[in-house]
Amino acid sequence: MSNDVVIRADRLSKRFGTLTVFEDVSIEVKKREVVAIIGPSGAGKSTFIRCINYLHTFNQGTLEILGHTIVGGHNHPSKDVLQDIRTRVGMVFQTFNLFPHLNVIENITLAPVEVKKVPRAQANARAMELLEMVGLPHKAEMYPKRLSGGEQQRVAICRALAMEPEVMLFDEPTSMLDPELVGEVLAAIRRLAKEGMTMVLVTHEMQFAKEVADTVVIMADHGVVEKGPAREVLESPRTERAQSFLHRVLNPEEVPDPLEQEVLPIGGRR
Amino acid sequence: MHIALEYAGTIGVGGLKDVALTVVSLILSIILGTLFALGRLYGPWPVRTLIYWYVEIIRGLPAILQLFIIYFGFTQWGINFSPLTAALIWLVAYGTGYAVEIFRSGIMEIPTGQREAAAALGLSSRTTMIRVVVPQAYAIMLPPLTSFVVLQLKNTTLLYLIGFADIMYEARLGVDATNHAAILYFMAALAYLILSLIIGRVGVRLERNVAAYR
Ligand SMILES: Nc1ncnc2c1ncn2[C@@H]1O[C@H](COP(=O)(O)OP(=O)(O)OP(=O)(O)O)[C@@H](O)[C@H]1O
Ligand SMILES: [Mg+2]
Repeated sequence: MSNDVVIRADRLSKRFGTLTVFEDVSIEVKKREVVAIIGPSGAGKSTFIRCINYLHTFNQGTLEILGHTIVGGHNHPSKDVLQDIRTRVGMVFQTFNLFPHLNVIENITLAPVEVKKVPRAQANARAMELLEMVGLPHKAEMYPKRLSGGEQQRVAICRALAMEPEVMLFDEPTSMLDPELVGEVLAAIRRLAKEGMTMVLVTHEMQFAKEVADTVVIMADHGVVEKGPAREVLESPRTERAQSFLHRVLNPEEVPDPLEQEVLPIGGRR
Repeated sequence: MHIALEYAGTIGVGGLKDVALTVVSLILSIILGTLFALGRLYGPWPVRTLIYWYVEIIRGLPAILQLFIIYFGFTQWGINFSPLTAALIWLVAYGTGYAVEIFRSGIMEIPTGQREAAAALGLSSRTTMIRVVVPQAYAIMLPPLTSFVVLQLKNTTLLYLIGFADIMYEARLGVDATNHAAILYFMAALAYLILSLIIGRVGVRLERNVAAYR
């Protein structure tokens, strides 16, 4: 693996029982690169991004990540390898998944203290720095339940960043948010991108993908249908599948209602 | 009314014994129940099977039968438990059987996202259990746990059958001696009622505390 490549997935395939989620997915993520994965619902974007930190196993292919190599299908990586990967790769989930029984600062410091053995005082200080960065220092003592979705997601980003990861994975970080809360979360991600964080981002926010991503990958029909420089892929996609997907996403009002064709005219006769 | 005064003391002492026994057996049952529940969920198959059958037996056999097996049955092999020891063994064994199930369903109710978030942060499965899963399971468990405590307290009434001097036993002795069944049993009922109201109160308190985050 060249020094520059942080993640290389080579022809990864994933099945749940008899259901093939994706086949032969290959991507490469270089240091400081932002890769956005887009595509229709059910294409396997979440499943794929979870393979990167091995929250899901995969059936075939090879995953090289941060100097480790995992081959699909056979032996699981050892506990030490998994822990090394997971402490160096941060993840932010669609549903935030904050720990409800811990307050904001405890959520953020749990892993640094337990896994990296960072002294409590130092972990707290770092957590406060991160909270300042996302504009939430005044919420440090609150429980997640009392926060808005946007605030919870910003705390979740802090929680991941507290481990000082080398790579961040985002799985649709804004799709559970009310529209007026999306901006604050995107702002935090945008800042990370500017600071040079290596990121893989599954998103439905096309405009945002175009803005922050270097590379865009479109997943559909069990695989990658197109990938390349963000602007190129989003503005002038080459494959038909990518074109039709982007057209539908960008012009949602043109998509015909599948029910409409079933509706009989008044009177009951066609 | 002097009958009531005469027996208030002994019934009160019996009540204290019931409380002590309930508290001690409860603590042990919760510890064992937690371990058994983890064994039932994550242990190797022989452990899982063993615990499964343990729970089935405890929940399937009549309570009195269990108590009699421990107190009278074991004498056949020359093992003679004192009423106190037998009472404690039975309450813990019985309580554990119920605590396992309460705790197991508590753990299963925790969304998988919690465990995934912990895994993604690099927490070991042990730390995830101790810091993320178990504390949340206890919170979910509180309401069924409160009814379980009341059940255990009521179970102590059975202990008079093996001669353990609790509320029920003292009331029964008093009735035999004085023939004032109504008043003495009423006093016993009152003692149990007060105790279960206290338990209920403590339960509500605890639930309110965890409501801060649930
Ligand atoms: N744990 C699982 N067991 C079985 N099937 C699953 C599991 N997780 C996902 N799937 C299936 O895999 C397919 C891909 O799901 P996935 O969540 O990866 O899609 P996605 O591209 O992220 O979609 P969305 O945009 O809706 O989030 C779906 O058909 C889904 O039902
Ligand atoms: Mg998804």
